[in-house]
Amino acid sequence: MLYSVTHTTKYDYDAPVSYCHNIAVLKPRRSLGQELLEYKMSIAPEADEVSERVDFFGNFITRFSIQKEHKQLKVTTKSKLRREYEQYKTEFRSDRCTKVSLEQAKENLLKTDLEILDAKQFVLDSIFINKTGEAVEKYARESFKPNRSVFEAAEELMQRIYTDFKFVSGFTSVSTPIDVVMQERKGVCQDFAQIAIACIRAIGLPARYISGYIETLPPPGQEKLIGADASHAWFSIFIPGFGWVDFDPTNNQIPGDQHLVVGWGRDYYDVPPLKGVVYGSGKSRLSVEVDIARVV
Amino acid sequence: MTVATNAWFTKYFTDYTYDEMFTPDLSVKEDWQELLENFKRIGIDGLTQRQNDINWLLEENGVTYNVYNDPNGLNRPWNLNVVPLILQAKEWQKIEKGLKQRAHLLDLVLKDVYGERKLIKEGIVPHEVIYGHRGFLRQCDKIQYKIDKHLLLYAADLARGTDGRMWVVNDRSQAPSGMGYALENRSTANRVLSDIFAEMNIKRLSEFFKEFNELLLEASPDKVENPNIVILTPGSHNETYFEHAYLASFLGYPLVQGNDLVVRDGFLFMKSLKGLKKVHVVLRRVDDVFTDPLELREDSHLGVAGLLDVVRRQNVAVVNPIGSGVLENPGLIPFMPAICKYFLKEDLQLPQIASWWCGQEKEKDYVLKNLANLVIKPIDRTNREHIHFGSQMTEEELATLRKEILKKPYHFVAQERISFSTAPNYSKGTFEPRNMVARTFTIAGKNGYNVMPGGLVRVAPERGKLRVSNQRGGTSKDFWIIGDLKSEETANYSWNRKSAVSASGLDDLPSLTAENLYWAGRYVGRTLVNARFLRMVLKQMNTPEISSNQQTCSVKMNILYKAVTQMTGTYPGFMEKNKEGVYAIDNPLKEMMAVVLDRNKIGSLANSMMMFSNSYYSIRNLWSSDMWRVFENIQKLWRNLENEKEITVNKMIKTLNQLITRLIAFMGLIEESIMVEQGLLLYFIGLQLEQSMLTITKCRSLLVIKQSGQTEYEVLESLLSSHESLNIYRYSYRSYIRVEPVISLLLMDLKYPRSLTFQLGRLQKDISRLPHSQKSDALMHYEKYVFEAFSKLRLANSDQLATVKENDGNIRKDLDKLLEELSDLLFSTSQTISNTYFNHTYKQSQLVDQNFPL
Repeated sequence: MLYSVTHTTKYDYDAPVSYCHNIAVLKPRRSLGQELLEYKMSIAPEADEVSERVDFFGNFITRFSIQKEHKQLKVTTKSKLRREYEQYKTEFRSDRCTKVSLEQAKENLLKTDLEILDAKQFVLDSIFINKTGEAVEKYARESFKPNRSVFEAAEELMQRIYTDFKFVSGFTSVSTPIDVVMQERKGVCQDFAQIAIACIRAIGLPARYISGYIETLPPPGQEKLIGADASHAWFSIFIPGFGWVDFDPTNNQIPGDQHLVVGWGRDYYDVPPLKGVVYGSGKSRLSVEVDIARVV
Repeated sequence: MTVATNAWFTKYFTDYTYDEMFTPDLSVKEDWQELLENFKRIGIDGLTQRQNDINWLLEENGVTYNVYNDPNGLNRPWNLNVVPLILQAKEWQKIEKGLKQRAHLLDLVLKDVYGERKLIKEGIVPHEVIYGHRGFLRQCDKIQYKIDKHLLLYAADLARGTDGRMWVVNDRSQAPSGMGYALENRSTANRVLSDIFAEMNIKRLSEFFKEFNELLLEASPDKVENPNIVILTPGSHNETYFEHAYLASFLGYPLVQGNDLVVRDGFLFMKSLKGLKKVHVVLRRVDDVFTDPLELREDSHLGVAGLLDVVRRQNVAVVNPIGSGVLENPGLIPFMPAICKYFLKEDLQLPQIASWWCGQEKEKDYVLKNLANLVIKPIDRTNREHIHFGSQMTEEELATLRKEILKKPYHFVAQERISFSTAPNYSKGTFEPRNMVARTFTIAGKNGYNVMPGGLVRVAPERGKLRVSNQRGGTSKDFWIIGDLKSEETANYSWNRKSAVSASGLDDLPSLTAENLYWAGRYVGRTLVNARFLRMVLKQMNTPEISSNQQTCSVKMNILYKAVTQMTGTYPGFMEKNKEGVYAIDNPLKEMMAVVLDRNKIGSLANSMMMFSNSYYSIRNLWSSDMWRVFENIQKLWRNLENEKEITVNKMIKTLNQLITRLIAFMGLIEESIMVEQGLLLYFIGLQLEQSMLTITKCRSLLVIKQSGQTEYEVLESLLSSHESLNIYRYSYRSYIRVEPVISLLLMDLKYPRSLTFQLGRLQKDISRLPHSQKSDALMHYEKYVFEAFSKLRLANSDQLATVKENDGNIRKDLDKLLEELSDLLFSTSQTISNTYFNHTYKQSQLVDQNFPL
């Protein structure tokens, strides 16, 4: 499948900003079954300098600064992607994946080959998923049992989050602690992803946070609205002996071609789409628009 | 001399464990013997005197250590004991070698963890020790540096262990403190014990600091002739701020805060008075995560947004590199022997404190079993507050800790609890053994690492206490390495300075320093003028006439009280009833006391003094020791008044008298201790501006409303006396005091230094020397305001100003209008100067608000 993604982030300030430094994680990385064909970022007002690098996790980081006074910052990215992911999904249902029990997984995790060594850091506490309370572990243990398949448990965890948690936008912010989300049982996609990650880590397995997009399809017979698509987030669990498997608890499904990956890290902190330091006295208003079109 | 014969040490042995002064067979070590001979010669009284001299010198020089949340005030005096710690060169050489090896090794670890991570890949170090340490900053991964060594400055805390050898107990790598204190200790000891220094072969520190300066110069990524080096401090509230200022003035580099620096076009710049100046090297005292709010801790206001990227582009060198905090990691200790084998194929030379990392099963079990006898630390928080001393914990606390360890075992290290050696401390006429820790400093040089021959020795605050920490009080010692040969000081610490920032002029003054000097001038002016005015009013309250001539007096006193409120801006004050409906005029003494003494009342004298202290303290690297002495003196004077049980008008007058004289002494010292290029000009501008503004307020309060005969006379007399101008008036006019000549003298006189015209003339001259003023023939906006004010005054006529026109009741409208216009112009001047030169007013904020516990 070929996709063209337009992502516009706009900040309106009520007082002039004299200068700003920003970091963006917007350029889609290479990932399994996904290839970036074209990419262009435009910044208004024009940035005085822009640089790009690859970070610790292999994501593309764009850094730019605007040194002239401005009242609006608008960052638009246009990407063309090839996503052929469905083919891998059958693998997940294979014995190689589903037969790994929690007990075996933990034993496999003790090995020291590079893939395992690299995955193991995703068991440790991270910036946002830190010192989570007992409620998280308890919630996780309901699905994860020593003799049960890790894949099955993870799939069930995804389903439970989908049922138990209410999608409410505006209730949580970037800095809402996991324990609060756990207790209130509501939030948005990034909260659900992080809850799942916290659960998996409490069990002792590696899990990572994936930032990306999801294509929304209009109800049959209706035309698709421009900008109706969204930034999205989901999680991935590492099943030692098999590899990484993605789950989307917001939509209760294993991501397929409609999920487009931008970047991943330990949690949201490692891959915020756009952040920055601004110098000015005013407040800002954010608006985001994402549009995903199939290229025929 | 045997110890037994020395009465000083009779009580010394009661709880003897292992003491620095003695050999294992309890005889005094040779070099200590020599020290004791010297002490014997000096005698017990002499030694007490020397200790007093040290205390006095440290206080004189304002050596302090800030203690956060200290009820006794922010700046605790630094303590240095008269008895140094002595180590023989032979033993020291071994330690030195060991420190060099350890620095080299840690440098390799640093390069590896931010590079290939072979230590993890090859199983030498468990991944959690690095990945689970909050000091491992993924943002610093794969950063390339132009310099060969990455770890440039390394401090190790050493203590003598049970086997009689010096052990490493702590590694400090991100922004180690103590070098400046060690230098200050040496310079103080050298002065007070100069006779002993002449006799004993004490290794000198000057060569080390010369090497340190070379290190900073060599660190510059740009091979320019004179790299610009700055010292980045978190600010005057930091616990070791004294040291930052001390090193800045010793090395001759500007002391800056995050706000003084800015990133543009991939380079780091210092905001100076003239504009932006490129910075090549930053010696930072700000911890890793606070250095860049863009990529690291978002809520930090101590760093510079974008700094890390400038480092990445190799356009600036930060000493030590950002990310080096990962080495402050007791989790590494158990693996150091293996790391040493791996990298160097040799054995670790310095012993380390026994440590168990709980990330390993066997170790964890041992720790859990022996929890009560161990010291437990998180691998990434090694400051005191996070350390658990098992022996001092209750069963319940131990159980909680056990649970915490089980939840996140990799995060904890347990260490053996041992009693380190003691060293003699002189206290109240006797010597006491105190536990001690020595901080050593190792720096990168052209050929390997160099070690400071000495260091900072700290001892426990009390006999028998194990904890040694400055945060908890305690005292320090000079650290003497005694060699066989006399070592000579490099002539007066002077060396060929290559850096240019220090020598260049006003243009390069960091704008924060400029701003502090400006405000220092304003506050000192405000304090002086208001102190004089308050003194005058208090004196009038105290005169017997107040009862004899009720009518005039109460009218006059009313006018003066209101002027007090207007001059100090302590509204409602005497002007109207306050919120509780109380009229201050009914109890003037109470309000006057508040205006003098209440530091929480904005505008009060005590409040101005506090602001004045703050701005001075922030620029202390510019001070001379005389200034510090007078400053301390003023503080003491004030504290004494505050501590009086019953405060009377007389006591206040007496204190104000002393305050005024000292302030004048202080102002005199400022003028001769700081150079115009260092920013004295800004101080003058602030001072003149403040004095002018207050002269205007004073004249408006006292001259605008025409009073009847006797009252007017008395008000004018009060005005002249508060302006210290009574004698000049009498000398110049030889007449009864009238309003026209008073206006003429105080406002319009071109030659009298206390007149407004004179002050504005001087202000005009001073601001024309500011960097932007000299750009073109046209005046800058702030110059225009002063020019306009000056011209208005020159064009005015005192007779006309003194007249009350027919329909104006008893108000001198022309005078009021002129003074109002002048007041507005000066306000605009102050505003525009601030905006042009000290523009730190940009508020730093985040696009996305994310508070996180990094």
